[in-house]
Amino acid sequence: MTLAELVDGPLWTVALSVFVAGVAWRLLVLIGTGWKRDLSHPRSGSLGGAIRGVVGRFLPRQGMAGRLRLHLVAGYLFHLGLFALLFFAAPHVDFYRDRLFGFGWTPLPHWAFVLAAEAAFLGLMLLWLNRVLNPVTRLISESGDHAASVLTFLVMLTGCLALARSHETLRLLHFFVVELFMIYFPFSRLMHSFSFLLSRAAQGAHYGRRGVRV
Amino acid sequence: MNAYGLLWGLLLALLSTAAQAQNDTPPQSGIWIPNPGADLWKAVRQRGQPEPSTTQVQGLDSNQLINVAGEKFRDWRRERFIRYAAYLLAGVPVVILIFHLLHGAMKLEPSGRKLLRFDLYDRVAHWLLATVFLFLAFTGLLMLFGRFVIVPWLGLDAFSPIASASKEGHNLFGPLFLVALLWVFLRFVARNLPAWRDVVWLLKGGGVLGGEHPSAGFFNGGEKLWFWSLAVFGLLLSLSGLLLDFPSYAPSRELLVLALVVHGAAAVILVAFSFGHIYMGTAGVEGTLEGMRDGTVDANWARQHHDQWYDEMVREGRLEALPEAQENRVDETGTGQLGEGRT
Amino acid sequence: MPVDMNLFRGFVEQIRQLPAMAQPTDMPDPDRVRAAKAVFADKLDARLASHLDACVHCGVCAEACHYYVQSGDPRYTPIHKLEPLMRYWRREKGPFAWLQRLITRDISEQDLEDWQPLVYDSCTECGRCSFACPQGVDIASMVGVMRQALAKAGLIPAGLRAVEQEQGSRGTVFGVGGEQLMEAVEALRARGYEVPVDKEQAEVLVLSSTLDILLFTDALESTVKVMNHLGVDWSIHTCAFEGANFGMLSGYEEVQEAASERIIREAIGCGARVVIIPECGHAYPAMRWDAANEHGEPLPFDVMAISEFLGREVMAGRLKLKSGQRRPVTYHDPCKIGRHGGVFDEPRAVLDALGLEVREMPAHHEMNYCCGGGAGLFVIDSAKKNRELGFDLKREQVEATGASSLVTACGSCRLNFLAGADRVHWDRGIESLVELVGEAIDGPVRAG
Repeated sequence: MTLAELVDGPLWTVALSVFVAGVAWRLLVLIGTGWKRDLSHPRSGSLGGAIRGVVGRFLPRQGMAGRLRLHLVAGYLFHLGLFALLFFAAPHVDFYRDRLFGFGWTPLPHWAFVLAAEAAFLGLMLLWLNRVLNPVTRLISESGDHAASVLTFLVMLTGCLALARSHETLRLLHFFVVELFMIYFPFSRLMHSFSFLLSRAAQGAHYGRRGVRV
Repeated sequence: MNAYGLLWGLLLALLSTAAQAQNDTPPQSGIWIPNPGADLWKAVRQRGQPEPSTTQVQGLDSNQLINVAGEKFRDWRRERFIRYAAYLLAGVPVVILIFHLLHGAMKLEPSGRKLLRFDLYDRVAHWLLATVFLFLAFTGLLMLFGRFVIVPWLGLDAFSPIASASKEGHNLFGPLFLVALLWVFLRFVARNLPAWRDVVWLLKGGGVLGGEHPSAGFFNGGEKLWFWSLAVFGLLLSLSGLLLDFPSYAPSRELLVLALVVHGAAAVILVAFSFGHIYMGTAGVEGTLEGMRDGTVDANWARQHHDQWYDEMVREGRLEALPEAQENRVDETGTGQLGEGRT
Repeated sequence: MPVDMNLFRGFVEQIRQLPAMAQPTDMPDPDRVRAAKAVFADKLDARLASHLDACVHCGVCAEACHYYVQSGDPRYTPIHKLEPLMRYWRREKGPFAWLQRLITRDISEQDLEDWQPLVYDSCTECGRCSFACPQGVDIASMVGVMRQALAKAGLIPAGLRAVEQEQGSRGTVFGVGGEQLMEAVEALRARGYEVPVDKEQAEVLVLSSTLDILLFTDALESTVKVMNHLGVDWSIHTCAFEGANFGMLSGYEEVQEAASERIIREAIGCGARVVIIPECGHAYPAMRWDAANEHGEPLPFDVMAISEFLGREVMAGRLKLKSGQRRPVTYHDPCKIGRHGGVFDEPRAVLDALGLEVREMPAHHEMNYCCGGGAGLFVIDSAKKNRELGFDLKREQVEATGASSLVTACGSCRLNFLAGADRVHWDRGIESLVELVGEAIDGPVRAG
């Protein structure tokens, strides 16, 4: 089997399976850790609090924005750019149509795609630089945080390098790095892409029950 | 004659060779044999034409059958630019190495007391620009020298994807360089305004070749020279780069060729300069990297290299009161001057 | 109304003697680790697990913490305070524990010792970090879990331990028991106040605190006045009057449960429908949120902070107050009553009714800054510098409003503000909500 056949074939299957099963397993273990019933009289509803927790945290709290400029700018540049790339870049839409869902959708025009890519790269670099230069994140970061940043960057970089769609090697390199990313995903901090929903909802429910605007 | 002076000399040499490339006169021959197609080709190449040719086709340069400027550029790039760029980019590190072996690093006797020099945003901006610059330099140099360095080593089949990847990467990261450059410029410009003491510093060669260390403020003359070179050449790189990234917006092909020349020349000059900057920031002067890595510098380092800034800090009480872990404080004013301490 | 500062300074001096009074808690090291892990295992549920899983080490929590904001020391980073819990979860309860065990270091006794100053001296469990976290991680709750683990591991700081041991063994705090309560009651009765004590039936059981009995005596008097004025069927009980819960503050669960249970028993015994918490921060969540879960079933009575009760009475029109001189004040929401309790509007309704001009601090309501001295920090000597850091930040906040006075409804906050004001010779007033009400009641107050 050639490297190309491996990357396009069995390795893709393995990566996809590990990703789906791993994410599902991790979420199940979290939820299955058990719930403690709260016997105190609630002041307000938990469900409303949970929803408010999930939605409200997209914006910084009152008075915090001034101290979080770098986090906010870099964080949103990266996440919004990545989201746009992942779901609306033409090569990706083609891939989803051909290899995953059987249907596609309207991709971004090329200039918007380039803009999204620039934003994503800029955001990720700023975030990682903050991680290594800010004494707070320097203290609390672990190897997993750096690995996740580097791996994400490599996924994006290899994608960018293959943009001309001119060489199989470059496309395969991108695919390979993506497959590594998917296998690493469930074991790492990258899971925050799913667990943020649980965590925000849990805090929102907990404090919402106490009548506090989360 | 310091490293920066050397680089300026080489820059002038480079520019003159570029200028020379514009005047190519045909060689003299003994017997004149008329070429039957000479007139046709003269017209095609638009030599000695009273007016430019016309055509029914609408579009950029559609009245040109053969692009002359592009051919001239190709010649210049192959015969002169690549050659001299190679000399410069190989020569500068050699000069630096020789200097380092002869002179050694500028040593520091640490006092153990720290002074906050660069806050978090200063450092993030600097390293953002540095990483983008290095990536662009790497991919750019791959495209410039790849044919002569990579191909003999890995072969054409291997170089093909490398070249394609370099081009895509270079084109995508290019605009980020402009963003990072603007950010760095705005953050650091107030600290880089030229003063007479900087001229004096330069004339004394930074004290590098003997004599006492000349006086300096927050940044010394050499650093300010680097800053303004980065600003000027960086801007040239960005503007020419943007044009090259979006060629369909160029009003003429000549402008694109000019952009290529400017881009190449500015890039090579800046890369050569950056060797000096990187050297000075790492091996060249002990205690410097800490400033850009952690934000703090040793008090003795400050007193040794930036005495006037050091004096100002002492006057403002920044040295005595400052505990070790203060480098996270963000400078809200954006002028590089810190506000009052909170504790 | 103004506090006797000599009395205050004497009180502060007495607190400094506490560490010497603490009983030692010698345990073999492996037992300490085992005990801590047992607490972690018990407390980790889906809610906390989802939080531990979601943290991406972004560092935003530090920017919300008053100790970090003031000092710039990254060791105050809130999520950093949970590191042993995080490691435990990953290695032993998390989704890929078998894998994590290979690459993550186990907790050691040294870790527990190293984390003691981080979760006690350096955290007031104020919750501002929880609210700031973009991932919704409830760091403050988990610092509480850390304290519970360290308590079981015998690592409560000495001063705090002394008070917890006293409350656990004798049911008193700073030697204040039923006898001392009766002394304060008799002093009030001597001035003509009716004070129902140990009634067999009462609709409202009023709690007090050591601080109110020893130091903030006007608060107790004002509470008596309000209850009498409103004609409430109320009582205070000598065997269950202490709102402060040093089991909760220290993290020692058994003592927390015992202290709460004493109050629950008494409240049920006299058929109370409402239990009123005095001006004391943590006393509110201890009874309002935690007590039912410790008790094992929902409580048959409501729990209200005095500021909450006053506000409701004002908002319902039942409590009429004399409007005094309109002066600018700012209200400090005690963390445990505001952010952890949901009581924000009621105190402000009271201040409005008093005719005061309420100016909000730059950080206000759910995002106000902690006073810096709560969660038992006032009895931890080594936390002095941190308490000062907290005060300095609040001082800036208050002065930014231009208010002449700071009003609050928590004795612990008041202690830290008074200590800070004494240190820097602050020119602003520090006032208690219930005391302001006590002075402004429009009508009879001596008898019910």
